[in-house]
This record gives sequence, structure tokens and C-alpha cells, in this order.
Amino acid sequence: MDTKWNNMEQNPGEALEYFVADRIRETLQEPGEARPGGRGKPVLAFLAFFLGVTLILQSLLAAGAQVLMERDLSPRFVSDWQETDLFREEISSCLRDFLTLGAGGQLDFYDNSYWLEFGPGDFYGTEVEEGTCIIQSEAVGEAASVFGVRPFGSVRKEAVDSGAAPKSQNENEPVPQSKPEVPPDASYQADKNVLYLIIGGEGENRRVYQNTTSSQAFFEQRTNGDYNFYLIFSNGKAQIWKDDVELDVYGSGYYDGDSQWFLPGYDNFPASEQLNGVYVYMAIRANPARYYSVDYQTGQQYFNSNMYYIAQRVNDSRQFYAHQAIWAGAGALLLCVAFALRKYKRLADAKIAVWTRRVWTEVRALILLGMLLLIFLPQSWQSLYWNWQDYWWRYVESGELWIGQLLYGIAAIMGSNFLLTLALIWFFWLLYNDHRYNPKGARRSLLRPFFRGLRAKDLKRPIEKRISRMGALCGLAVAMLELELIFFLVVCSVRYFSLPVWSLWTLFLLPLLIAAALVVRNALRQETIARDLGLLADQVEAVRAGNLSAPLKLPEDADLQTMADSLNDIQAGMKTALAEQTRSERMKVELVSNVSHDLKTPLTSILSYAELLRQEDLPPAAADYARIIDEKAQRLKGMVQDVFEISKAAADQLPVHLERLDLAKLLRQTLADLDGPIQRSALTFKVDLPAEPVMITADGKRLYRIFQNLIDNALRYALDGSRVYLTLTTSGEQADVSVRNTSRTELPEGVDFTARFVRGDASRSDGGSGLGLSIVRSFAEACGGRFRVETVADFFTAVVTFPLSR
Amino acid sequence: MNESILVVDDDPEIVGAIAIVLEKEGYPVRRAYNGLEAVDLCLDPAVKLLLIDVMMPKLDGLSALLRIRERRNLPVIVLSAKSEDTDKILGLSMGADDYICKPYNPQELVARVRSQLRRYTSLGDVHAEERSGQIVNGRLSYDPAGRVLRADGETIKLTATECKIVDLFMRNLGQIFPAEEIYRRVWNEDAFSCENTVMVHIRRIREKIELNPKEPDYIKVVWGIGYKMEQHGAEPR
Repeated sequence: MDTKWNNMEQNPGEALEYFVADRIRETLQEPGEARPGGRGKPVLAFLAFFLGVTLILQSLLAAGAQVLMERDLSPRFVSDWQETDLFREEISSCLRDFLTLGAGGQLDFYDNSYWLEFGPGDFYGTEVEEGTCIIQSEAVGEAASVFGVRPFGSVRKEAVDSGAAPKSQNENEPVPQSKPEVPPDASYQADKNVLYLIIGGEGENRRVYQNTTSSQAFFEQRTNGDYNFYLIFSNGKAQIWKDDVELDVYGSGYYDGDSQWFLPGYDNFPASEQLNGVYVYMAIRANPARYYSVDYQTGQQYFNSNMYYIAQRVNDSRQFYAHQAIWAGAGALLLCVAFALRKYKRLADAKIAVWTRRVWTEVRALILLGMLLLIFLPQSWQSLYWNWQDYWWRYVESGELWIGQLLYGIAAIMGSNFLLTLALIWFFWLLYNDHRYNPKGARRSLLRPFFRGLRAKDLKRPIEKRISRMGALCGLAVAMLELELIFFLVVCSVRYFSLPVWSLWTLFLLPLLIAAALVVRNALRQETIARDLGLLADQVEAVRAGNLSAPLKLPEDADLQTMADSLNDIQAGMKTALAEQTRSERMKVELVSNVSHDLKTPLTSILSYAELLRQEDLPPAAADYARIIDEKAQRLKGMVQDVFEISKAAADQLPVHLERLDLAKLLRQTLADLDGPIQRSALTFKVDLPAEPVMITADGKRLYRIFQNLIDNALRYALDGSRVYLTLTTSGEQADVSVRNTSRTELPEGVDFTARFVRGDASRSDGGSGLGLSIVRSFAEACGGRFRVETVADFFTAVVTFPLSR
Repeated sequence: MNESILVVDDDPEIVGAIAIVLEKEGYPVRRAYNGLEAVDLCLDPAVKLLLIDVMMPKLDGLSALLRIRERRNLPVIVLSAKSEDTDKILGLSMGADDYICKPYNPQELVARVRSQLRRYTSLGDVHAEERSGQIVNGRLSYDPAGRVLRADGETIKLTATECKIVDLFMRNLGQIFPAEEIYRRVWNEDAFSCENTVMVHIRRIREKIELNPKEPDYIKVVWGIGYKMEQHGAEPR
């Protein structure tokens, strides 16, 4: 898996296919069972899942919205419509009207007693403003003239008013003849769902209103079984029977928000004296029918069946919830199917994830924003603005904003837009699905280069950081400018909608888009160049460090391709040159090795016979010759060995056996080993070695050769009778061994004594091979040390340096 | 010519020179000039020691050595121009008893030949020596009880100090002793700049026991650490 992720950088698409394929294989468990080729089951599984979730969600949303919308009216889940607040409210309203009729005029007690105590807003949860719910006398007189154009709710009231109020006014101002006489209870007449009998006043003023043919008929009809609800208001108290069972109307006798019936007769809401002698009988049909009245002048029909509508509404509501439950059940069944096919559903999910992967993050954000706007915002910018202001003044400024209200508002809005809300939910599911199946890096985004630019400190190369920051800053500036411009345009559109804003939008939009596109393209390009530059820099570093094997690979169309090619050529050239050099070096070593071997064979014969010759009884001159032959052959032998070793060391093929050892002790051992020649020489050795161990890591035998050669060198070339100084000092992390002596002959200047076959005396007449110091340098370097020679006049200093080993 | 030494080299002059030296010492010499001849001649049981070059035509020395080893058990000294440690190790591991680099030192050559012959012909059973409580290390055998050191069966005369040093080394074959410790154990005194003293004695011991004191096989310097007695295989087989 890891290697596939590494591929991501080069080819995210391909790696993703692998990834998805892997997921699919994991999902299916049984390999080869359902290849992606078989489409039927995945599609079926996903459809079942989609429909199931949609159905359940839509029922929940619709039911939820319904619950919220019906909050005022609360018929929900009540099977008996007469148990609803709506019904009680209607009864209360009817009774108020009937009492008004019975009293023959305006009743002031609703104003005086109730409203003063409870204030507006608590009337069974309905928001009521003072002056609108109470019957107004100002409307009297005009009511009839506008009768035909008012909706029936107010018609009824005004009809009542016009009948109830005219007493005093009719005496002063006669009713115009053109208007037909309208009975004050006209609006109630037609509705036989509410049977009523109102008796009020005394003697002449005795008023009887009823919508039955007679009082007798009222009581007959009331008992015929259709009417199960019966209310009597007498002596300032109301009594109610439902299905012949008397209800407890007043409860504790004190009216508060929880009291069921809003009727006069409570301790804090007593019936006024106006109601003395007023009797109201009401009977409500158990199953209301639809009644209507007709205005014969205008020919308009008025549906007066409030009770019918209430009952209908309760019934509808019950049916609505039942339907939603059925839908939800169907949804659950589908979900079961989807669960049974979950393997295939996952397959479909993965496939969908492959599609959604291609959508840019910005586009997702835009879609989300658009959906939210469609759901939550009103239709136009202007109403948004005004609504917002309204909202502000009503809730925020007055301090009445509370979370519940807010949530209620949100829920209500979502419920009323439930199709869009469903779409939103599915959109979120797509996002989740995308997140689940697509690796993090695979998401496409226009803004990514900017974010990367802002994260420049994570980049490893300074040049990448600089370029990245430059690009990010530039992009940021342009983005800010664009946002400001858009904000300006939005403000213009909202505030000054009379301006030709849309032409402004069209004017600015194209340049805005072009600028954004250019910035994005520029950022991407810069990023690529920065990356390539970084790779190039790394490669230069790598070549410098000696990595000649891996050429730099840039994409074919990279701007830096030619530079990369040149660098690769240089690298290849260096590689060839190095290989050539190594080969020739190896050949040289082989040559020297072969030559030294070939030299050794005749040398062996020479030495053998020279030795034999010396053992013969020869004339003195001949014996001398034999000795010379033997000596020179011996020297030749040494030189052959030296040349052999030095050439191996030069080719890094000298075998070394590294171990930790005490350099001071090694020097003492070397001096002891060479004690004989030292004692025999005319030189004085001044040795200064530390008593404590000086540990280094080196090859002991090679080190011995080094110091043997240095001491030999001193013995051979130092001025007779002079002193040779051999010191070992440690400084910091290194140990220095120096051998200093005064040369017997004048030392030439500008000569590298450590080069092969170089001697202080150019005539080469002495016994040295000229290889001693060269061997010292080769061996010291092979063991990880350094060797240098300093000459001041005739004073010769050889220094061997080794790093200390802790 | 009952018992003889077989000298093999592709260079007749070298064979001649070696033959002269060995015959001077009283060893009869047979000559061969390539590996095949050497293998043939070695079938004769009269050949008591083989001195063979490595790089030869027809059959090289080491291959010949392998073939000869299949049939005979006789001391073999390899004589080669290859002087690297790796070459020596290769030669010894192929079955050679000793290794001499060209150009050789005639005295050393004779000494090594003599040493090998003595160990193969005149010495008793090595294992018997070991059983009798002696410490055997290559050419050397040491009797800790009698404090007697023998090289190729010959008793070496040692001074008291040398004997103590040899005793220390022979009882601890292969172990490295710093000069200070040798001094402390042998002289029973605390050591101070004792390197020269110890080295002088070691040099003397070397001259008595080594075939070539300049390139010692037994008492060796471990540079920067100390001295040790090199442990040799339980030869001869």
C-alpha cells in the first residue's frame, strides 16, 4: 500500500484506481464473486439505500415541520377534534360574540379585567395585539357597507358588532334606507354546526337570537344525538357537557395560562354586570358538516362552517401523520434491503466516490453555499436586507432573541423547504462518502497552491520557500482585492438597488474571473518551477557529493528541462571519466604487481648466485664485486617491494587491519625495535612521549612501517652529531607525531618530499629509494591519518596526524 | 639417494641454486620444472620433503600440492614470489607446512628445510608429548615442570630471565602482554619505561628460537598493544 501512496505524487488518478480497487476487494472478501462488471446489484443496493433514507427523512422532516407549524393550534395527535385548543378557542370566541349579542352591546370586561392582568400575547398562545381581538365599536355602521369584501372571519365579528352596537347610534343616525336590514347574528345563522339560543334583556329590550326555528326546536335538536357538546351560560357562569358528562370548566377558579377554557366566570375574570339576565345555550355537532351562506346582493358565497374546518383539520392532520408513518415504514423496508445488499452498496459508494473526487473543493463549497442560501434566505436581496433589519430590530435590539426561537426558526424553515433540505442532507452524505473512500491528497482544489505557499516553512529548500511565499503573497493580494470588489458590488446591489447594479456585475465579473484564473495558473506554474529548481539544486548538491548514478528526471515539458539535461550530461561525463580513471588505476596496480612479480624471479636467481659466489673462495677483487652485486640486489629487492605496496596504497587497495591501539606505546615499541641502529648512529634521539595512552584506530603494522621509515629517514639524512626530536602531542581531537632533524645536506626548496622517488639529494647517490616518505604518506592515509613535511632551512619536520579514538 | 628433497620451480637456475645450497648441507636433491613432474616424482616414497613454486606452467604449485596431498603425507614448503599475507594464508590453508617468499634468504631456506625434516623424521609422537604435560606450539615444545624449551626437538639454552619470559608466553599462547605486565611478572618490579629492556630480551629469545629473527614466526610484536606468542597449529599431522 505504501508504495502506491508514494506513486500518488506522480499520478494520483492511477493510484486512486488502485486504492478503490483494493477497497472493493476488501469489501467483497470473496474474490471473484462480483466483479465490478456486474452492475445490477450495486445499482439496486444503492437505489434501495437512497430511496429508503429519502423516504424516512422526508417523513421525518414533513412531520416535524407540521408539528412546528401547528404549534399554535395543536391539533396534533388528538383524535377528538373537540379536545383541541382550536376548538376551545372557537367556543370561547363564539361565546364572547353571543354574550355580546345577549348583552346588547359592547362588553368591556374582556378589556378591563383580563387584558390588564395578563397583557397581550398569552391568549391561548396566539399573539394578540390590543385593539384587534376585541370587538371595536368604531367599525359599527361601516361594517355593513364593507360586508362583501371582508374575509369571513372579520365579517362575522363586524356583523355582530353592527347588530350589537346600533342601539344608541340608531337613535341619532338612522340607518340608510338603501341598506337591507341585517340581523346581528347573521354570520352565525347559516352554520347549523353551532346551534345557539341567546336570551338577554328585560321586557322591551328582551333579545332572543337563535339559528333554529324556535327555542323549542333548539332543545329538540340538541337532544337528537347529532349534538354531543352542550354549553349553558347563566348567572355569570358557564357549564359544559360533553357526551352528557359535565366538564370541570373553571378548575381552580383562577384563570392562568394553563386554564383550558377562556370564559368569564373565573375569580380574576368575573362576568360583568352587563351579563345579568343573559342566557346563552350552545350545542355543537359531533360531526360537523359544511354550511355556507349566500349574499343575495352580490351573489357571493360565504362558508361559515368554522367547526367543520376545525374538525376537518384535525382529521387531515391525523391522516397526514399516518401517511408519513407509512412512508417511513416503506423507507425502513428499503433500508433493510440495502443492508442485505451492503457489500454491493459499498461498491456503488466507491464508484460514486470516484466521480465526486473530480469535483473541486471550491465548487463543493459553492454548491453548499447556494443550497444554504436557497433554504434559508428569502427570494431577493432586498427582502433579505429588510428581513434582516426587521429581525434585528425585533429580536436583537429588543434583547428577545433566544436560542429556542432561533432553533425553532431554523427547523421551521428547513421543514418548509424539505426538498432542498433533503438535497442538502444528500450533499453532506456525498461529502462524507468522498472523505471515506478518497485519500486525503487526491482532492482537487484551486486554493491548494496558496495554502501550500502559506505553509512554505515546511518546504526544505530555501529557493522553494522564497518562490512559494512570493506566489502566495501575490495571490493573497489579488484575492483580497477581488473579495473587496465583490463585497462592494453586493452592498451596492442590496442598498442601492435602483442603480444599474447588474450591468456593474457583468462589467466586473469577467475581469474578476480572468484575474482569479491567472493568479491560480501563475501559482501552479511557480510551484512547479520552484519544485524543479529545488530538484535541480538537490541534484547539483548530489553530484558535488559524488552521486553519479541517478540522473535528474523532470517532466518532459518542464521549463528547466534543458538545464536538467545539461546537468545529466555533466553527470554522465563525470561518471565516464571516473570509471575510466578507476580502470586505468586498477590497470596500473595490476601492471606494477605483475612487474614486481616478474622482477622478483630473476632477482631471486641473482641473490641466490651472489650468495653462492660470496661463499666461493675468490680473489679479493672478485669477492668485492660479488659483495657489491649482493648489496645492490638486496636494495633492488627492497625497492620492488616498496613500489608494489605504494602502488596498491595509491589505488586504495592496500589491505589494512584497523584496531584501537596506543600510539605512545607503539612509538616506544618502534624505538625499542630500532634500538640497535639508533645506538650505532652518531645521532642523539630526544624522545618526548606522554605517559598516558593515546588511543587511535589504525593498522599497527602499517604504523610501524610509517615510524620505521621516518626514523630510518632521520638516521640516513640527519647531520651527524645532531639531535633528532621525536614528540607525540595531543590537541583537541587529534594526535600529532613529529620527527624533526637537521639535514646533512642542503634541502631544496619547493619540493614535495612525499612524492614518489623524490629525495633531498637530486643526484640519488645515497642508499635511499626515494620511496620512504611516499610510503609514509600512503600508509598514513590508508589508516585514516595525514602526513605532512615542513622544511625550514635545513631543519626537516615530518608530522603524522591521526584522529583520536574515544 | 635414498632420502631426497624434491625442488620444483619453472626457473632452472633457481632450482640449481637451491640444490647447491641444500646439497652443501647434505640433503640429496631431485629436480622438477612443473607441477605435473612434481606430482609424478612425489609418488616415490624416497622423497621426504617438497619445495615447490606456485606459479608454474602446466600445473601450478598449489594444484599440484592438492594432488600430492591426496596420496602422500610429506612436509611441503611453498616458495613463491607472492609476498602478501593473503597469499601466505592461502598457501598454508592448501596444505603447505611452510611458506617462503622469493627472493629467499638461503640460510633461512636451509633452516626451514631442516626444521621440517627434523619434525617429520626424527621427532616422536606430538600427541605423546602433549600427553606428558608438555605444551606444543608448532616447532616449539615446552615442559613447564622442567622449564625446558625445545625447538625442533633441540633443547634451547635460555638465561633465567629469558626462561621466565618464555614460561609466560608458552603458558598463555596467543595472549597479548603489554611490556609493563611482562616486566612486572618477570622482574617482579613496577615497570617504568621498560619497553627497551623487554625488547632486548625478546630479541635474544628470537635469535635462539626463530628461523629468521628479523621476521619472527613465534614471538611477535602487536604494535601499539604489546607482545604475544603466536599460536601455531598442532603440526605435524
